[in-house]
Amino acid sequence: MQYTVNTPEGTRDRLFGECRERRKVQSALTGLFKRRGYHEIITPEVEYYDLFIQSGNPLPQESMLKSIDRSGKILVMRPDCTAPIARVAATKLQNEPLPQRLYYNQTIFRSGTAHLGNSHEIAQCGVELIGASGEKADAEMLSMAVDALAACGLSIFHIEIGHAGLFRALTKDLGAPQETVEQMRSYLEQKNFAALDDLLLPYQNASGYPVLCRLAYLFGGPEVLEEAEALSGEAGAEEIRYLKSLYQRLEQAGCGGRIQFDLGLAPQLDYYTGVVFRGYVEGAGSAVLSGGRYDTLLRDFGRNAPATGFAIDVDGVAQTLPPVELPKATQLVHYEADRLREALSCIESSQGACELSPCETLEETIALAKEKKMNQIIILETGKARVLNI
Amino acid sequence: MSRLRIALTKGRLKDETMKLFEKMGLDCEPLYNPGRRLIHSIPNYPLDIVLAKGPDVITYVEHGVCHMGIVGKDSILELGRSFYEVLDLGIGKCRFALAVQEGSDFYGTYKTRRIASKYPNVTREFFEKKGMDVSVIRIEGSVELAPILGLADAIVDLVETGDTLRANGLIPIEDVAQISARLIVNTPAMKLYPTEILDFVERCRTVIQGTPQASA
Repeated sequence: MQYTVNTPEGTRDRLFGECRERRKVQSALTGLFKRRGYHEIITPEVEYYDLFIQSGNPLPQESMLKSIDRSGKILVMRPDCTAPIARVAATKLQNEPLPQRLYYNQTIFRSGTAHLGNSHEIAQCGVELIGASGEKADAEMLSMAVDALAACGLSIFHIEIGHAGLFRALTKDLGAPQETVEQMRSYLEQKNFAALDDLLLPYQNASGYPVLCRLAYLFGGPEVLEEAEALSGEAGAEEIRYLKSLYQRLEQAGCGGRIQFDLGLAPQLDYYTGVVFRGYVEGAGSAVLSGGRYDTLLRDFGRNAPATGFAIDVDGVAQTLPPVELPKATQLVHYEADRLREALSCIESSQGACELSPCETLEETIALAKEKKMNQIIILETGKARVLNI
Repeated sequence: MSRLRIALTKGRLKDETMKLFEKMGLDCEPLYNPGRRLIHSIPNYPLDIVLAKGPDVITYVEHGVCHMGIVGKDSILELGRSFYEVLDLGIGKCRFALAVQEGSDFYGTYKTRRIASKYPNVTREFFEKKGMDVSVIRIEGSVELAPILGLADAIVDLVETGDTLRANGLIPIEDVAQISARLIVNTPAMKLYPTEILDFVERCRTVIQGTPQASA
């Protein structure tokens, strides 16, 4: 039987430097999370399909990789880390006092269209703060998001904040049919400026109108909050005030320069309930960090607790960082059989600059050094050590 | 950020796009004799132009290797994906239509109909909305052939004047979607270079609508 030697669509092998790049980002992130008092959770790679339906998570079913277990139940390769953690928090941790601070460092799997150049395995590192709501909890999460990207060694990046409640508040008194509101949300999400204007025309008298028709443009620095506040009537005023106050907290924490706003962020409104945010880095074609507040998620698992969190696309961050240079071994260590311990410490202290020769004779070691294009052999003989240049 | 990069759809849409750019005051001289070059610089505006096929425009913008793109709504509907679709440019207008052989009664049977199209996703979605089961067959070239050869009961295709359909004994019986060219923007690019991108978008919008967006 002939086995195929290539990997499935959307997956790939990662070699040497790429592994170090991924691990470097992971250890920077998990180091920060631990220092902030977050505890790691590892959930199964495989879960019941029902879990992700129950959680109200808006993942389309075709994006999940499925299989069937022996009893006939549908399994999926974990397509998201938040729902499994919500499951744990609502069940295994149900008697633990809140808040719970949890982090994960796991791979998620998505099945997508072939040949788009997207990976179907995504290494994610993220946190969940369960059982805390309000400004302090949001500020903790957002400053963590800023510090996390900084810890990875990124220089040009920002975290962009929006509020899922703002669009809801602005459209509440519009008197527009549900489909029209959904169409507005979709145009807003696409920043389809002109189409949104046309759709809003009949609603000029609504109190939310002045903000709504500028909403797609209200992204950038904290000045967009001033603009929104000046335009807003009663509708949306509370959310805007909240964001202003949150910004002040973040500024006081030294994160002000990294914070931007997009008041037009209105994703998946039945999932996110408050602040939503994204992280953008120069050199990455999509957001590398994404998160928000989802206060109703745990209720779907039977525990009524607010929650917020974010996930970072580890490889998305890693590919914007300078590549890791692997140390190149230039020396072979040829040793007498009884001097293994010395040979090993010689290798360890060289930090990758030398390799152990497995050859019995010096001639074989010299041939090996030539093949590997190394320029020195360290010879450990009984009682002495010498260096042979090639 | 020095120069923006935009991907334009090659072919007829390119000529209409150049006219639009010229109205915006961009010097499109390098595009008149492109030769074999695929990247061109606009001399009087910080913009580099990449020429590509429609679906590739979407791919380049989605991956962020081009900041913006100009592409037909037909490709966007067929391929989906994630980016900002900021303006309807009002050029490259046509429509997706369902067409059948003259005299045939498309809806008058309970048999599962077979539809040929270059746009299988658009076709599937159109009939899904109607709650109708159809079998979609993908054809790459002249889709009109499929009903003539007896391979399909109908086609879903781009229709501009309808001349090609008529010449082959087909008539459009229903519109599926109206199509025109769109200006699309990579999501992080919009956030990282808002001044540059919004300047370009507003120039476009001013030319299309004749008035600048009233800023508050």
